[in-house]
Order: sequence, then structure tokens, then C-alpha cells
Amino acid sequence: MTWWSFVLILVSLIAFVAGQLLLKHAMESTTANGFRNAKVISLLSCGISCMTISFFLTLGLLQHFDLSYLYPFQGLSVIFISVAAAIVLREKLTLQLTIGALLISAGIVLVSLS
Amino acid sequence: MRDRPSGFANPWFQLWLSVLCVLVSELLLKRGATATAHLAENWSWTGVTGLASPLVWVAIVFVIISFLSWLYVLKYIPLSVAFPLSRVVDVLVPLSCWFILDETISLRRWCGIALVVIGLAVVAKPVARLEERL
Repeated sequence: MTWWSFVLILVSLIAFVAGQLLLKHAMESTTANGFRNAKVISLLSCGISCMTISFFLTLGLLQHFDLSYLYPFQGLSVIFISVAAAIVLREKLTLQLTIGALLISAGIVLVSLS
Repeated sequence: MRDRPSGFANPWFQLWLSVLCVLVSELLLKRGATATAHLAENWSWTGVTGLASPLVWVAIVFVIISFLSWLYVLKYIPLSVAFPLSRVVDVLVPLSCWFILDETISLRRWCGIALVVIGLAVVAKPVARLEERL
């Protein structure tokens, strides 16, 4: 693997995590503001853009690498999202949630390796 | 975790709905992609030739439903709970491939599936207890 493909994998992962965080933040704002709100609409469109970027980067990577090689990085997204949700969205990350996320990630890596 | 609607509007039900829609779409996409793999070889890498299969179109509908119900889930459930739980799909997909598409599962993959299931149980257990109290 060249450093360039590693950068692409990392960017697609970051875009995916950012997309999920933006969507979550947008949906939380709908409780107070409803959908016809500039903030909600801009958050939603940023979230969807991030997901789209991540989707096409992954598609491009799939043309050059096996799915079994790329999928373990998807497994890492569980850890990244849990940590990012705790830091950015101030969600409470309990010990059980952390252990669960680690186990799920490890399991996904194992599933995709074989 | 307050003001949680029940029945169809229950976010936990919607989480399941979203996961099941992802599962169905993956299986349909695999069937549709296999059926159209022989078409126009110089374009097949973009995946657009898959659109020739009606299964792929049905899959796209399922993807849209899963996205909408996922947005609904996000409105009520913390991301650090909902996202790990949504990865139950990583267990359901290989199991369905085994049942429906006759694909084989190696020993290492079985171990991975077991780890994910344990992880899901660890995440879900405190949540279930919290729900009971409410």
C-alpha cells in the first residue's frame, strides 16, 4: 500500500464519521427548530455531502483493493464514531459502551479478514 | 431519552427497520450485480451497469428507506449507542449469505461474528436496563 491510498482510506473514514456527526447534530436540532430551518438544512446538506464524498472515495478504493482489505477500516469507524460522539457531541461514553465498541470493531476486522 | 414515541414511531423499532433494510439491500445488490456482471465490460467498474437489473432498483428503494429511518433514529438515540448497534448488520450479512446465497463461512469469520455479537450484547444491556426504568 502506498501512502497515497492510506491517505484516501483515512479521508473517506473521516468524511464518514463527520457525516454521521453532522446528521446526528442536524436531527437533534429538529426537535427545537423543525425541518424548515436554515441551520438544520445546512447541517443536513453538509452531512449528506460528507457521506457522498466518503461513498465515492470508498467506491474508488474498491476498484484498486479487495473488499476484505478495505472492510477492516470500516470496523474502525465504530471506535472513531464513539470517541467523536463523546468529544464533539458530549455524549456520555460509559465503560460498557467503550468495551462493546472495541469488541464489535475487533469482530468486524476478524469477519472481513477471512 | 425522554418523550419516546411507541409503536411504529419507536426509535428502537426504527433502528431495526434501518438495519433490516440495509441487509435486504445488500443481498439484492449482490444478486443484481452478479446478474449484470457480463454487460459492457469497459463500463462495469463504475457499477452503473448494475442499473440494468430491476433488483438493483429495488435495493436503492431499501437504501433510501434505511437512510430515512436512520435519520429518525439519530433524533432520539445517542450516536455512541445507535451506531455500534447498527453494526449488527455485519453479523446479519454473512449469516444471510450463508443461508440464502450459499456462501461459506470460515472458522475465523465465525469467531469474528461471535465477537461482534458479544460486543452488541455489552452495548445493548445497559441500554435495555435504562429503558426498563423509564
